[in-house]
Amino acid sequence: MRFNIKSLNYSTILTICLIVLLTILGELSDSFKTLLTSVTGHHWVTKSVLSLIFFVVIYFLISKTVKDWADSNHLIIDAIVVTLLGGAIIFGFYAWHFMH
Amino acid sequence: MSNPLVVIHALTGVLSIFAFLLVFVELLSPSEKAIGRIKIFAIIGTILIFISWTVGGYYYVTYYGPDIKPAIKEGPNPWIHSVVMETKEHVFLFLPFLAILATGVILSYDAGLLENNKARSSVLALCVLIILIGLAVAGMGYMISAGARVAGVG
Repeated sequence: MRFNIKSLNYSTILTICLIVLLTILGELSDSFKTLLTSVTGHHWVTKSVLSLIFFVVIYFLISKTVKDWADSNHLIIDAIVVTLLGGAIIFGFYAWHFMH
Repeated sequence: MSNPLVVIHALTGVLSIFAFLLVFVELLSPSEKAIGRIKIFAIIGTILIFISWTVGGYYYVTYYGPDIKPAIKEGPNPWIHSVVMETKEHVFLFLPFLAILATGVILSYDAGLLENNKARSSVLALCVLIILIGLAVAGMGYMISAGARVAGVG
């Protein structure tokens, strides 16, 4: 089985960015959190489903335009950096939110 | 006694970490035979993360949100929910996609991982990240369980 690794990398990076964005926006805006909740009944479930759909859609969209699947190892490093930054942002945000 | 859903969530989560640990160990000095095992461990690890995600999500929505969360927030350590649980439930969402990425690279390169050092290093780095995030999430889960017990609902 062969995947388009570039596309897989981009979709992972963008999905992690989306999760961070949805998480912070949901905490900063009550109306946005209510909107997320109204979709599935719980904001976290909506974030989960949205991120999964987003990942699949972005993968297939990028796969259609980016054909050279190999030589994208540097993108994996980008995905790792984005993940670490995303985790730090989420933890930092909730720590800040709790203290204020 | 712990809710069985929490046990399944934690067990599948820990086993998925173990699966990616096996991928990491096998990839340190891979052979033709090891490639087959690496692919199986990566697929199993990814499936286990999805099971942990689904079961944990069901427990979170059905039991944690209505019963445990209010007790922790009104208890002596409200930060257990406000910081630890909030961080855990959102950082956890990174794991399924990182697991798909790692498994996708492994399946795509296949035996090419034996010669392509860059690809192998990338997968090793991804495994380390999955293992570290998995351990952090497991540790946070333990803190939440302890916080629930202190709040009288664990």
